[in-house]
This record gives sequence, C-alpha cells and structure tokens, in this order.
Amino acid sequence: MKSENGFYGQYGGSYIPEILYSSQQQILTTFEEAKNDPSFVAELHKQWQQYSGRPTPLTHCENLTQHLGGAQVYLKREDLNHSGAHKMNNVIGQGLLVKRMGKKRVIAETGAGQHGIATALVASRLGLECTIYMGAKDVARQYPNVFWMRQLGATVVPVKTGSQTLRDALDEALRDWSSSYEDSHYLIGTACGCAPFPEMVTYFQSVIGQEVQRQSLAQFDQLPDRLYACVGGGSNALGLFTPFLEDKEVEMVGVEAAGRGMDMGDHSIRLSHNLGQAGIAQGFASVFLQDDQGQLQETHSIAAGLDYVGVSPIVAHLAETQRVRMSYANDEEVLAACSLLLQKEGIIPALESSHALAVAFKEAADMRPDQHIVINLSGRGDKDIFNVAKAFDDKEFAPFLEEYLKNYHEQDTVQDLSESLSQETHA
Amino acid sequence: MSQLANFINAKQPLTSQPLAMTHVIYGYPSIEASLEWMQALLEMGVETLEVQFPFSDPVADGPSIVQACHKALESEPKIQQCLTDLGRLGRDYPNSKILLMSYLNPVYRFGITKLVKEAAEQGLTGLILPDLPIEHAAEYQDACVEHNLDAIWLITPNMPTERIKQIATQATGMLYCVSRSGVTGQKSSLQTEFDLAAYLAEIRQHTDVPLAVGFGIRSPQQVAELTGLADIAIVGSALLDAHNQGGIATGKAMVANLFPQLA
Ligand SMILES: Cc1ncc(COP(=O)(O)O)c(C=O)c1O
Repeated sequence: MKSENGFYGQYGGSYIPEILYSSQQQILTTFEEAKNDPSFVAELHKQWQQYSGRPTPLTHCENLTQHLGGAQVYLKREDLNHSGAHKMNNVIGQGLLVKRMGKKRVIAETGAGQHGIATALVASRLGLECTIYMGAKDVARQYPNVFWMRQLGATVVPVKTGSQTLRDALDEALRDWSSSYEDSHYLIGTACGCAPFPEMVTYFQSVIGQEVQRQSLAQFDQLPDRLYACVGGGSNALGLFTPFLEDKEVEMVGVEAAGRGMDMGDHSIRLSHNLGQAGIAQGFASVFLQDDQGQLQETHSIAAGLDYVGVSPIVAHLAETQRVRMSYANDEEVLAACSLLLQKEGIIPALESSHALAVAFKEAADMRPDQHIVINLSGRGDKDIFNVAKAFDDKEFAPFLEEYLKNYHEQDTVQDLSESLSQETHA
Repeated sequence: MSQLANFINAKQPLTSQPLAMTHVIYGYPSIEASLEWMQALLEMGVETLEVQFPFSDPVADGPSIVQACHKALESEPKIQQCLTDLGRLGRDYPNSKILLMSYLNPVYRFGITKLVKEAAEQGLTGLILPDLPIEHAAEYQDACVEHNLDAIWLITPNMPTERIKQIATQATGMLYCVSRSGVTGQKSSLQTEFDLAAYLAEIRQHTDVPLAVGFGIRSPQQVAELTGLADIAIVGSALLDAHNQGGIATGKAMVANLFPQLA
C-alpha cells in the first residue's frame, strides 16, 4: 500500500530521535532504488525460493471443511518457510538491503524469538554481525530460541527495563541504532516503526498474497471470498491482504489476541471496541494501548508474537476505513482451534496463527460451500510445545521435564567427574 | 524576540563559562522529592532548569534516565499537575527559566496546542520534544508563536548541512546541540570524537540563537572547554547519577563543581 509521505490517513510518519534522521533517509532511498532494480528483485525471489522454500503451498482442508459444514477452507502455508514462520520473507528482503547499503551489522527486537531466529539465520548466511534485543521475561519464557540465536552467532541482550517484553526490546533496539547507525541496520520484524518500515515490511511480505492470488485462480478458479490473518504488529496480515486491496469483493478479517480477559493488561486488542487510542510512540503514529496520560500499557496473549502494545499504521488505517474487519480470539478459543487443526488436518499451527484459525472456523460454518476462505497459517507450532503442553494439561510433560533435568545434571556430574579424573591423571 | 534568548544573552557574555542547564525528572523518585530537588537547584541559581515529564518508552534516553522515568511513573504523574507545580516554582525563582521536555505521546494525549498554551500561562519558556521531527511540527510551531513559547530543536553530529540549515533557520530560544551519537548518559569526551568547535561554528553560521550543548557532560573540564563556543552546558544523566548516589547534597556539589559561577 502506497503511503502519502509515510502516512496512511492519520497514521504512520517518522517520529524518531533526530540522530537517526540520516539513516532513516538512507533506508528510504535505498528501498526506493532497490524496488525498481530488476536485479535486486531477481535476487530477492531467488533467495526466497532457494533459502526459504517459496512458493509455499495453499492447502485445501477437506476434513475441516466437511467438519465445519460451510465454506471451503484453505490454509496459506507460511509455516513451511525456513525458520517456520513468515518472518523469513521480510528478513531475507531487508538482509539484501543491508548488503546494498554496505552495512556490517544488524540489530533486531524479538518477542517470542521467531523474528530473532530468522534474523540470526540470515545474518549468519550473509556474514553480518547480529545483536538481538529481547525482553528479559521473554528470554526466560522462550529460552530454546535464545539458545539457537546464540548458536547462530548472534548476541542476545535481555532487556530488563519496563515491562521486560517486546515493546522494551524495541525501545532498546532503537537506542542501539542511535549510536550504531553508521555501520548497523535496524532490521525491524513487523510492519511498524518509522517510515518506510511499515511500507517496506509490507512489500517484502506481500509475496504471500501474490502467491495466493495465483494459487486460488489455479486451484479453484476464482479469488477467495474471505481472508483471515492474525494481527500482532501486522506483517503477516498485510502480506496476505495487500495484493487484494483493490479486489473489493474480497473481504479481509484481522484477528487480535483477546488473551484472558478484557481488562487492561489481560489482552492485546488495540483496534476493536476502542480499547486502544491514537498515539505516537516507538517511531510512528498508530493506535496503542495506553492510559489517559499517554503511558503505554502492558499486554497479554498466550501467543508471544501477538503480545504487542501498538499495531502497524497501515492496519490501523485499513481498520479505520473499514477495508479490514477486525475481530479477536481469546486464549481458550485459540487452543481449541489449534487442537482442531491437529486432529483434522495433521498440521501443527503456531499459537499466533491459531488466532486466525479460531475466528475463521467460527465464521466458515455460516458460509456456503461454494465460497472459499484463505487463512494465513503464519507459523508452525513446534516452538509452542511448552505452552501448549501446559494448556492441554498433559500429564506426562512435567514428569518428562523433571526426568530430563535430572539426567541433564547427572550427565554434568559424570562429565565433571571425568574432567576431574583426567586432571588428576595429568597432575 | 524570544524571552529565553533574551534572558540567556543578557546573562552570557560568550567569553565566560557557559550557563547551566540542569536536567531533572518530574516524579523521580517521587513527585514531592523531585520538586524539592528542583527547588534546591533553583536556589543555587541554575540559569535554566530542564524538567522531563516521564514517559514509559523514552527511546532517546540511556539507562539512568530510563530507569528513573519508570520509577517516576509509579507515582502516576499527571501533566496538568506538573504544569501547575512548575508554574509555582517559576514564580518563586524568577531569575531562572524552566523548560519542559517530554516525549510526544503524553503531550499528544494532553493536546499539543493546549500544552503550549498552558505552559506559557504558567511562565515556562520553552519545550523540548525529542521525537517530534520538524517536518511534522506545523501545529506545534504555530501554537508556540501564538503563545510566545520557544520550540527548542535538536541538532546532531553528522547532520547534513541542508538539515542543519533547515532547523537552525527555524530555531527559537536556543538550539540543543547534541555532542555525540547515541542516547543520553553514555560516557564521552567532547573533543576526541569529532571537532566540536567546527560543529558549533557550522551551526552558528545559520542562526544567532544561543547554543546549548549536551549529551555526556560529566566533568568541569568538559564544561570549561565549551567557553567561547556555546552559551549553555546541559547536564543530565551525570547529575541524576550523582543525585542517586548521595541525594540533594551530592547533586548540588556536582553542579557547584561543574559551574563555578554557582558555587
Ligand atoms: C508465527 C507468527 N505469526 C504472527 C506473528 C505476529 O506478527 P505479525 O502481526 O507482524 O505477523 C508472529 C510474531 O512473532 C509470529 O511468530
């Protein structure tokens, strides 16, 4: 979607500390040039294909369709990207831009760690230094991702200020960029931040919707009637929606995280029910969850990737102009939808994506069998094993962890023992 | 002519050491305590007092100020009350000028024009909004002109000449000249990183408003080095660190040490 000087209606813009002005301008011009450079676009498609496995399939879910008894259900399989989520599309694109700008280092924020991992993967492949900021609470909740980022050579910095989650990680990434802009690029993971990031991330993610256009014509001879996507920052939703914006007959539904209740701090609903208000923070104007003094508030979702206090200015604008209908699903509905997909189709969805599933499943039942819906399965669910096991109240999981931990430490002792033995021998 | 610029020019023959701009955070460690601290500084005669209204996400600030802002938010400060409190202090100490600094969102919630109007009514002389770029500032600038309050802009190192010109020619009151990259509170020696004199000279070519230099000032030498180059030295994180360490007494000692005219 084209902005007007970085604005989408009243949202967007570039509200960053003055020190970042030149870098922001550099990204603006580099992105404009790159988009119009056939060799850049060719390289982008090559990397998408060879490194991430694109195009991803559009999967017809016959069992689910029959079970729901309404519209034909299709899943856009972004879970099959390298790294297991749509995040890769954007990181590959921005990685190529970093090379084009001649920068040597990337900085990124991450919530659950999906964007952090994708960034660390690409940085390793491109030979870039990589620093990932992650809220200290998220580090504790998502340690396996931290482990892999570090193995990939990234420096992971736990952010201990404020709510110690994604929003603080984003603040800290901006602070790093303020002193490192000469050789570093801030590789933001969603369609937020100062211009041109919302437009640029949307551009790189739009490959999702472009493929869906072709695939739906090939597989069912028409465009989908409805599209569904979860909305954290907004990048997977905009990736799916943007190529269809001019197709007025295609309805679009964005799904936010209703968490565990409607009180402030229990959900991440920014756009429905006026729970969020217009504001300017973290480099852009959009809708944020905030109090009457303009202080940003805490959020919750069972899906770490949807637990964000703001939202893309493009989504805020599309919701305000009613081009996108906003809906939400709570933690419980999300787990039920996740479970249904596991049982009916043999696909393990990310909890983020399960938000889109929850609302789509509910609505599909009221549609006709000659109608088609496409749900963006933005990521795979392997990463959620700890949360899901706990939520499904799996009886074996905790004993498994305890046993594992015991063995883990015993192995340590064995190793310590052998080390001390070998030292004794040397002595 | 700007009240603030007149005030600074009257106090500051460029040959003497720079005037003081001391930075404090409203509500840190509590609203009462922060007002006492401001009063102590005004009592010492600091020429300008920069008061930061806390925000949850202060992206241009380093660890000391970030932490203090989060602590300050625990007492749920209100911008309306802040204006009232600063107005009272300003009336008690008419020989100093008080400036309000805030990130955009609290100001935006309050209403930007309303803030300018009420700040002016309370006798504040300037506003600093570090995340408002000049190209998005028309409404704010109009309100400032209408209410005779100075919108204080930042100039940063490595800023393209064109942009220095664009900002400097719209400057009122003073320009806040950042002396290095990064956020507040990082250590820096003013002269080694780049040619500060050349930087300030370039800014001077485009404006005759007073120049204030800040970011990383911690030592009397750094302040002294600004003599003849700048009108004001801004001390923020270092003062906060001193205040954290030993309260008002230690904070005052630091100000006296940095600014001989206040000792
Ligand atoms: C699998 C998955 N889906 C969705 C999201 C939400 O982000 P966005 O709204 O930018 O697509 C995330 C974020 O981490 C994610 O990992």
